[in-house]
Amino acid sequence: MRYQIASLLAIVTLAFGGDAAAAQKPKSESTRKKPGVNPDAQVIVDFNKRITAYVELHKKLEATLPTLPKEATPQQIDVHERALAKLVQAARADAKPGDLFSPGMQVIVRRILGQVFRGPDGRQIKNSILDESGERAVVKLTINGRYPDEVPISTVPPQVLLSLPKLPEELEYRFVGRHVILLDVHAHTIADFIDNAFP
Amino acid sequence: MPHRASQAPLAVCGLIAFLSCAAATAVPAGPVVVIAPPRPADVVDLPNLPDSLKFAVIGDNGTGEQPEYETARQLWNFHQKFDFPLVLMVGDNIYGADRPQDFARKFEQPYKPMLDAGIKFYASLGNHDSREQSHYKLYNMEGKYYYSFKAPKEDVRFFALESSYMDSTQLTWVQNELEGSKEDWKIVYFHHPLYSSAQTHGSTVKLRDVLEPMLIRYNVTLVLTGHDHVYERIKPQNGIAYFVEGSSGQLRAGDLRRGSPLTARGFDTDRTFMLCEIKGDQLNFQAISREGTVVDSGIIMRRKPQK
Repeated sequence: MRYQIASLLAIVTLAFGGDAAAAQKPKSESTRKKPGVNPDAQVIVDFNKRITAYVELHKKLEATLPTLPKEATPQQIDVHERALAKLVQAARADAKPGDLFSPGMQVIVRRILGQVFRGPDGRQIKNSILDESGERAVVKLTINGRYPDEVPISTVPPQVLLSLPKLPEELEYRFVGRHVILLDVHAHTIADFIDNAFP
Repeated sequence: MPHRASQAPLAVCGLIAFLSCAAATAVPAGPVVVIAPPRPADVVDLPNLPDSLKFAVIGDNGTGEQPEYETARQLWNFHQKFDFPLVLMVGDNIYGADRPQDFARKFEQPYKPMLDAGIKFYASLGNHDSREQSHYKLYNMEGKYYYSFKAPKEDVRFFALESSYMDSTQLTWVQNELEGSKEDWKIVYFHHPLYSSAQTHGSTVKLRDVLEPMLIRYNVTLVLTGHDHVYERIKPQNGIAYFVEGSSGQLRAGDLRRGSPLTARGFDTDRTFMLCEIKGDQLNFQAISREGTVVDSGIIMRRKPQK
């Protein structure tokens, strides 16, 4: 029982202590500089706006395709995935790295990863991610490019997910080697990425 | 609406509520597994009762290579003696590309006799599986990354989780589903092992930190996982039986740490699958190799809520 509580406290602490959560975390009087202004909160609000815009576009494009049934054939899945990817690629032809992960958001993500990887079991977690997501694979990431079939989909530790802004179901944070990507799940494409995000 | 502002309190409040629950309830203790001696012969060492719940477990199977086919053939052979209507898949169902021809070569062809016989496969997603596999009709996931279903016999509910992306939404779902489940048996399966003695991956500690308290709190009896390409039965942890069944297609020979304090029984020299049978408060299991050798067997008694 003591183990469980300690574990959960650690999680809650991490969730509160995470940079993204700092927007809600009151600072002590001695450290407060400008009441009501938190640079991380502004960055996250901006990130969420970008994500919302992306997902609105995604939904609009997906709505033009036949609905993928819950009990689909492999052909239906493949056709749907690739058709949506084409639509996204056409609609975001000018997209470039950093359109979703703004420079400020990249700093936040790197900081959160640093906290997790420097914490207890951090080395094992890092090694496990790199092992799973093909550290040794030569992967060239491209915006709107298809997620490489040969690269496994990495695990994202729950503690990282609880510290980052939550994403709508169309997008997921994932790792490819040392890079963090935003995976468009339905299109199986890379919406944006952060190069060498690992500390 | 700022996205984070509406989401963070949910995650944190959920965890705090969960913390309170965990602190308030004592955990049933005591070993749940009685080890039966491994049988070196090709036998079904299970009660094989006509009205019991029977099921099989496979993991890390979807290679499309010869060992997967041979293991699947052996599973079908055992089905002639042990008539299981469903198969649980603990992930890595299709390695590499998953074009339509890959679904055929890595799943539909090796398991064709079983699919033709109407046996239902219930998949969970591994780190080699694209999310869109959840729409594949033969995986019975109905478009969901995680889901639960009631077994056709006995008072059993299965919970299939997506362990590579355990975000606050899924954690809340797990908590609500486990708490709301009134079945006697709660069996949870997913890809990443909370406990493993394999050298390649080993225990997924960060996932364990968030999942295990719920498994204990809500009286889960059995947890089935894969990811490490071995078979391992873990010594009961907090009264829960854990298995790694990650060698139904893949194999990392010699990957288990010899002398690991976690291991109750390990097998890492050939592919395997599991057969299970539940009747009343008792679950019998066997782990069987590609060659048909029974490499492990035993009995698990259902965990009961503490009065």
